[in-house]
Amino acid sequence: MEDLQQFKQTYFDESGEFLAVAEAGLLRLAPGNVDLDEVNAIFRAVHSIKGGGGAFGFSELVAFAHEFETVMDGVRSCTIAVTDALVNTLIRANDILAQLLAHARDGTKPELGFADPVVVALRHHAQTAADAVQESPAPSTPVTNLPETVSRVVTVRFQPKADLLMTGNDPTFMLRALTHLGAAEIECDVGGLPTLAHLEPELLYLQWLVTLTTDASLVDIQDVFEFVSDDSLVEITEHSADGASPTASPSETDEAAGGAVTPNSPGGLAPATRTEATVATVAGAASPSQLALYEASAPALAAGDSKAAAGKSSTAGDGAHLNLGGHTIRVDLDKIDRLVNMVGEMVITQAMVAEHVRDLPPGQFQELLEGLEQLAQHTRELRESVMSIRAQPVSSVFSRMPRLVRELSSETGKDVVLITAGENTEVDKTVVENLVDPLTHMIRNSIDHGLEKPDDREAVGKPRTGTVHLSAQHRSGRIVIEVADDGRGIDRPKVLQTAIKRGLVQPGINLSDEEIDNLIFVPGFSTADKISNISGRGVGMDVVRRNVSNLGGRIGVYSAPGQGSRFVLSLPLTLAVLDGMVISVGLERFVLPLTNIVESLRPKATDLHGLVNRCDVMMARGEYVRLVYLHQLFGIPDAIVDATKGLVVLVETEDGGRLGLVVDEVLGQQQVVIKSLESNYRRLDGVAAATILGDGRVALILDVAGLQEMSQHARSPASRSVADAAIQLPAL
Amino acid sequence: MVALIKWNEEGGHVKLGLPSDLDLPMAQPLVDSLRHAFTVGDVIEILADSVERVSTACIQALLVASRTAAESRQTFAIVAPSVPFVEACSDLGLASWLNQWRRS
Repeated sequence: MEDLQQFKQTYFDESGEFLAVAEAGLLRLAPGNVDLDEVNAIFRAVHSIKGGGGAFGFSELVAFAHEFETVMDGVRSCTIAVTDALVNTLIRANDILAQLLAHARDGTKPELGFADPVVVALRHHAQTAADAVQESPAPSTPVTNLPETVSRVVTVRFQPKADLLMTGNDPTFMLRALTHLGAAEIECDVGGLPTLAHLEPELLYLQWLVTLTTDASLVDIQDVFEFVSDDSLVEITEHSADGASPTASPSETDEAAGGAVTPNSPGGLAPATRTEATVATVAGAASPSQLALYEASAPALAAGDSKAAAGKSSTAGDGAHLNLGGHTIRVDLDKIDRLVNMVGEMVITQAMVAEHVRDLPPGQFQELLEGLEQLAQHTRELRESVMSIRAQPVSSVFSRMPRLVRELSSETGKDVVLITAGENTEVDKTVVENLVDPLTHMIRNSIDHGLEKPDDREAVGKPRTGTVHLSAQHRSGRIVIEVADDGRGIDRPKVLQTAIKRGLVQPGINLSDEEIDNLIFVPGFSTADKISNISGRGVGMDVVRRNVSNLGGRIGVYSAPGQGSRFVLSLPLTLAVLDGMVISVGLERFVLPLTNIVESLRPKATDLHGLVNRCDVMMARGEYVRLVYLHQLFGIPDAIVDATKGLVVLVETEDGGRLGLVVDEVLGQQQVVIKSLESNYRRLDGVAAATILGDGRVALILDVAGLQEMSQHARSPASRSVADAAIQLPAL
Repeated sequence: MVALIKWNEEGGHVKLGLPSDLDLPMAQPLVDSLRHAFTVGDVIEILADSVERVSTACIQALLVASRTAAESRQTFAIVAPSVPFVEACSDLGLASWLNQWRRS
């Protein structure tokens, strides 16, 4: 049963991928833009979900998928015209299928009739097409690939191996799945049963002959047995409805030619002859099994073979299906996380050893030192390899956005086109998973608040269709995601007015454009004139900023009136370890992310300049850089307060600006394991996380952008609380 | 929770109460119970009203038991089979067999 659970899990994992394939294809499907390869891909995705569902006995799911698949079959054979209404129905059908899968996975029952409206709509589309076919005169040009509207009779011989049950499969699954394909007459051959004394309970002695009246394709039928291909002998024979000679499935023609029952051969089992065959029942247990027709050496029409047959008759859709095999394996995420944790501990241990050997007398223990150097290198490579296992392209998130844009476009009456770039940019799985909500909200915000109505756009000389750009790229060891629109931009007077009205800022205060733009991130702020389902509830951008911040990221907004807005989201690539530079300020140790550091230098007195608002700047490489005294920000006593006697570490912020952090010493580069401060203590301004150093001390990992913000309000109570908290940090 | 086959025997009348989950691991205990029942009883009743899930292996064991009963002229009956039990038999093409041996 554990095996079965494992198979089920694989089925659900694969089904998730199939759903994504189907949704991506459906979103590209439009009247006049029908790519048959893509339609086939959608069909195969739905079909695969149905096939697996049948094997596991998910009857409601299979029944619904069948309705969905029927319409897709009509689309791919060009008998159902692609209309906007049809695409909408198919997208809803994909949603229902996802929900049914979730119910099947969770073992819960869907609400009675919840899929009915979509089923009705699917049937309506199928029926409309069928009516059109009936009413139309003979077509002037032959139409190929028309679905077979006349049901056929198919016989399926199913002879499982005796040990089938021990593989976690049960014939009930397959036989039940067959009944979903049409009217099935199932006859069980019990001729092989032993006596009670000789019965091996876990061996299977039964065989079946199923007569199926169906309009399902042979591939559909073959797929029912996909999971028992290695453990069964399955033979499928097709007969025309009028009892004419049997016709062969492609697979049978290829594979069963040397077998005992050959399609198109006199030995083929037509319905008439089937009734003559003696299929034992309980009452007639002594009858010899008709299934003795099978010879042990007869080549089976195994599902593996049927896959090959299916591959011949289909096209692009199989691509996604077949990608699942070959060079990839599925690994439980917990196992990877355990590996990541262990690598993290290993990094700490390695740092501790390095710390100890630093005290060894120089020139001695050379081999030990070389070995430790190699160990450090291997640890680094191991860390990178492990992290790459967890890395995923952001396409899994980006692919959801066309759907969102489509819906918002429909709800707001705005014409929108979404352009994406950098979908293959990889980032840690946890980060990817946490991108969905922020991106969803930012895109909602862009469409709801940013883009104008088509007429308004036209009036100001813009194209009627608004554009939203969504892009991802690696920059400075982080992933930067941008959502940009070509709308009206942030209405600053309105934003300021709203902020004053809500008491968020004092009347008469002089705020820069940037500060006004950032008011949209203040909790409870919303300028929407009316509350819509899309945005305007005032719980949006502040939550987005908090969530992003919790991930160690930052979000900024840049806007130009009349030209549009740009949200920039910056997140770490991984949440587990980072390359850092350990610095000291007084007796405290801090870690600066290496990716932020430009250089460190000791300025001359002539390089330093004081400004009237107590902000010091330093001339470095021909430009002025604002100095930030860490001892001031964190209230650290006994630190070097004169930058000419300490060091200035030049760091780069996300917006490309530079800061000079005044520190006592730069102690050295080190890989550190990130420990969440939020989950172990609480969030602190200017601090991204914490870590444990080689000597066992806890050090704070600095957040450069946070430091920049803090430095602008250096005497604020917040910075004092950070200083207090830094001293009271608990053990992590 | 371990599912148990309930055993009740009085004067050669054996009643076997099937558990709710008759999956593959239950096939061996069921066969053992059936073998013992046929050695001690003339009347064997299988109480199947609680069955929520049943494997082919267990239905197969009951199938063999019914044949044994027919050959040895012992009385065998499947009493009040539950809906899942009936459906499973139907899926396996054994509806007529069940009708032959069932008792409401």
